Parts: sequence; structure tokens; C-alpha cells
Amino acid sequence: MVSMLRRWRRPDSAGGVLGGATGAIYVVFIGLPIMALLVRAAQQEELWNAITGDLALTALRLSIFTSVVSIAVVVAGGTPFAYLLARSNHWWARVIDGLVELPIVLPPVVAGVAMLMAFGRGGLIGGWLESAGVGISFTTVAVVFAQVFVAAPFYVRSAKLGFQSVARDYEDVSQTLGVSPISTFWRITLPLAAPSIITGLGLSWARALSEFGATIMFAGNLTGETQTMPLAIMTAMESSGGLDSALALSAMLLVVSVLALSALTLGSRRRWSGRL
Amino acid sequence: MNGQSGCRGWLHCRVGQFDLRLDWELDAGETLVLFGPSGSGKTTALRALAGLVRPVSGHIDIAGQHVYDSVGKVWVPAHRRRVGYLTQQYHLFPHLNLAQNISYGLGSGRRCPRFGNPPPEIEEILDAFQLRGLEDRFPWELSGGQQQRVALARAMATQPQLLLLDEPFSALDAGLRRSLRQELRIALARRPIPVVLVTHDREEALSMGDSVQVIEEGRTIARGLPIDVLGQPGQTAVARLVGVENLFRMRVESRHPRDGTMRLSGQGNDMPVVLEAPLDDGPLDERAADAVTVGIRASDIILSSDEPVGSTARNRLPGTVSRIEARPPGYLVELDCGIPLLCQVTGASLEEMGIRQGQQLWAVFKASSCFLVQESATDGTKDA
Repeated sequence: MVSMLRRWRRPDSAGGVLGGATGAIYVVFIGLPIMALLVRAAQQEELWNAITGDLALTALRLSIFTSVVSIAVVVAGGTPFAYLLARSNHWWARVIDGLVELPIVLPPVVAGVAMLMAFGRGGLIGGWLESAGVGISFTTVAVVFAQVFVAAPFYVRSAKLGFQSVARDYEDVSQTLGVSPISTFWRITLPLAAPSIITGLGLSWARALSEFGATIMFAGNLTGETQTMPLAIMTAMESSGGLDSALALSAMLLVVSVLALSALTLGSRRRWSGRL
Repeated sequence: MNGQSGCRGWLHCRVGQFDLRLDWELDAGETLVLFGPSGSGKTTALRALAGLVRPVSGHIDIAGQHVYDSVGKVWVPAHRRRVGYLTQQYHLFPHLNLAQNISYGLGSGRRCPRFGNPPPEIEEILDAFQLRGLEDRFPWELSGGQQQRVALARAMATQPQLLLLDEPFSALDAGLRRSLRQELRIALARRPIPVVLVTHDREEALSMGDSVQVIEEGRTIARGLPIDVLGQPGQTAVARLVGVENLFRMRVESRHPRDGTMRLSGQGNDMPVVLEAPLDDGPLDERAADAVTVGIRASDIILSSDEPVGSTARNRLPGTVSRIEARPPGYLVELDCGIPLLCQVTGASLEEMGIRQGQQLWAVFKASSCFLVQESATDGTKDA
């Protein structure tokens, strides 16, 4: 308790003052726009109508559906992959490691163009898929593709760090106690890596929910099919008098994001955090 | 010899560029100590026995079952070997409480629930390892000694056929170490199984081991009874590993078969040093002025402020204290007798005699405290 108090004592150095000042500016910088958005949205007389309007609900439904499917795909494929990356020392693991994180720094629009070049009608394997009767671009499937592409790295990276934090000795000891490697994964590795996995899940889901650039390039902007929330906001902004709907949609997305972040922070807390 | 419950075999492991070759044979209730510096391959040996590392070749028998055979292509994975493995840091599962940790390896019906009473089987183990009342504690809420006991209880709960201990006491203080060693002995008396203990602590090897193998760079360089191998080690490499403080290269002056001793001399910094040591089995004629390496443990030397007359000790060397350093639980005093002689003293004697640098003292030790050491390939002895 004493050490906690000491940590919170007033900054007495020049660096402390500078840090405090820039911190305050940062809080205002982030807080002001969010406040403004909520205040303006609340001032709208037609807020409730806009939220329950067809355009908003359709977009919200599509956004939630596609982002949940995307996250399911990311978790199913990303978990074993992240584990492999965490436990591997080979040079190729490091190469793949770098490749996995590429979409984080790649502009989403570029990702969309790239996906079009691969899976689009005239794309590398798109033509071949087309002849097999599978069209991907400009469908809901394309939305999921785009979201998985941009969101997966956040999950894989976080899960990998989580698995790395679990010393191999825990797994070894578990096996010598008669528990098979697969059971060991469920009973030891996964619970111990859970905080990082949940964090990755949240970051990845938030990224999928906010995905815009790759979606509009690769999936288009078709109401009810590929028009997710962010796309709907832009469409509303562009139409005359659409600011109201845009504000309502934005406020909804903000609330959903804050709820997700809170759930995440609570969910990733463990009594034994930092004791691995 | 009971071939049904022991552990025997040989193995060759390769980890990167590192080769480990080992062979062993031990009965139920016996403890084999693998003694060596860190990086010598001891832990790899344990991991191979546990089934966590696959050797290049070899054969491992545990309780009459072939768990590994490179020729017959037998490989029993770790979770089917029934081997208890205690790591240096215990690795108690941090998300499970004490009772859950102990019952972790038991079948699903016999495990402890998060809340509620543990099954009778676990109650028994809790009593045996003095962990009663701590069932609900989490690993970080336990002391080092308690953590060690939980790790041991967890390993023993699965009724292993072989117990592997990787420096199990290294994280504990000396007093706790002794009492836990005693507890381990009691636990093993209840259920005699073969034990392989890895350590680089000489005291631990002497108190726990029925036999010892000294390992250096993946090879066994000495084996036998702990007191023989570690008490008066016969090779310079072993002597250095077990921490024989004084190793001198000396010339044989004369041999006295009647007394079973011989006179050795070495050229010190400014004066000749003469020692009396047990007779070797070298040539009995005086023809060969052959050289030997002699080892003396620092703890076998007595320091005296006056010349000790009328004592049966054959070696009395005067010298000047050149250095004093702490070596818990006592001190190491370097006495320059022409050769730098390291002597172990307790803090009490250091104070009572007021030993300080530059003081004149006599070093006294019996001829039998000097032991002859065979030169090994890598030689690091001081020329005296």
C-alpha cells in the first residue's frame, strides 16, 4: 500500500511536469472529439429514429454478423498457428512471423486491391474460382475475407506472445504427470495464455468491426450485403442531410467499442497475472 | 538385485552441437546423483529419461518396462512413462490452488474441485507432506519450502516408477534444504523407487546419493560411491568440479612403504615445500623422481597461531595470511607457505584468533588428508 502511494506521489522533476502536461493534452486530444460526437448525437431530435432506421439496423446486423464470423475464422486458424510460432526456433518461423504482421502496417486500401488481384474476377485464382462457380468479390464472403486479412495479425501476435509467456516446463511437468500433450494444451497452456488471447481477441474484433478500406475495395458498398457500419457512415455523410444518420451510426459504433474494451479489460485480468 | 523395479539403460543425446552419453543402473530406493557444472548435460539426461527429449540412440528400462529402445523402435511418450519430474523452479500451475495442483495428474474422477473437500486420497497426501490447511492457497501464497513440498507431493501423487529431481533444493536456504532432504528420504522410504538427482552441490550429493556419476561436457568422468568420488576425487577434472581448493604439482622425493607414506617436494615462491602424503602405487625404487598431483581440501587444514609440537599430524607448514574471503558458512583463508594454501575456517575461529592479513600462522594437516589426483587431459593445476 505504501509503495502504491509512493508511486502516485506528485511528480517533482522537470520530466514529471513535462510528462504530466503532455499527458493532459493527450487526454483532451482524445477525449474532446469523443465528447463532441456524443453531445452532437444526443442533440439530434431524430436520434432514435436514425438508430432504429432501416439503414442503420441493416448495417449493424451485417457488421456484427461478419465480424463474428471473421473472428471465429481467425481464432480457429490463428490459435494453433500462434502456438506453433511461439514454440518454434527455426529461421522460417521468424520469416513467417514477420509476414504475419505485415497487414498491420499495410494500408487497408492496398490490402483490398491486393485481394482483388488474387480473388477478384480477373485475379490470380479468381478466374479459376469463377469457372468453378465460386464468386467472392463484392459478396458478404468478400467482407469476411477483408476483415480476416486485416484483423488476424492482431490476434495471432497477441496469442503468440501469450503462448511464449507460458514456460515450456509447465507443459513438460504436466506431461510427466500423465496428461497427454493435447489435454495439457487445454488444461495448462490455454488457461495460462488466456489473458493475452482475450486481449488479442478484442483487438482483432475491434479491427474487424472498424474495417473500411479493404472492404470497400474488395467487397464494395452494397446495402444489406457488403455495407457494414463504417461504410454506412461514409455513405450517410455523402448523401444530402445524412449527417444525422452518420452521427447516430457513429455513436452506436462508439458505444459498442467502449463496451467491448471494458469487457476485454475485465476478461483478461487474472489473479496470477505476472507470476508465470 | 530386483530387476523389476529399478531403472537401467544407456543413451546418447544430441542437442545442437552438444553430445551427451550416459549409462546407469540403479535399484528401487536407490538414488543416483548426476554431479557436474551447469551445461554439462545433466538436465538433458533427466529430460531424456522423462521422455521429453528423444535420444539419438539408447535403451531405457523403467521398472522392467522398455520405455525407449532405438533398435527395437520403442518410444513411450512422457505422459505414459510414470516418471515424476521435479524442476528447479517447481513449476506449480499458477491458475490452480494447492489441492488442484496435487491432484492434477489423477484421473478426472479423483481430481480436486475448485471448491469443496478434496477426495480422501488427496487428504492422505496432504497429511504426508504437511500441507494440511493450505489446500486453498495458490502457489504464490506459499513459501519456498512449501512450494517444494507441493511439487514433490504432486509428483508422488501419480505413483511414479522413477523420480527425477533437477536441483530440487537450489532455491532454498541451507536449513530448509536439510529438513526437506529429510522429508524426501521419508517419502521415498514409504514408496521406494529409483531416484535420479541432478546437482552441483557437493553436500547434497554426499547426503542424498547412493552412487554418483560426475558429468562433464556430456561424459561421465568418474563414478562410484559419493564419499569416494567426491570426498577425495581421483582426477584433477573431478577435483576441480567438486571444489578441491588445493591442487599442487609436486615431485616425489622418497617413498616409505613401511609407513605407507611418501615425501613430496615442490618449489615454492621463495622456499622449498615438503609434504608427506599417502604412498602411491608407483615405482618403489628411488630411481624415478616422478611427479604427482596432490589435492588437499581446505576444510581438512587446521590453522594454528603457534608451532604445533607434539601432534601426530605429519604436515606442519608456516606461512603468512595473504587473503581472507567469505565463503558461507565460514571463511577461506589463503596462507602463503611458499605455495598458496587455502584453508576453511569458521567465523568464530576467525574472530577468536583475530586472523588478519599478514599474520604468521601454521597450517597443520594429516598425511592422509593429502590425496593423489590423476592428471586428466585438461590440466589446470598450479605448479608448486
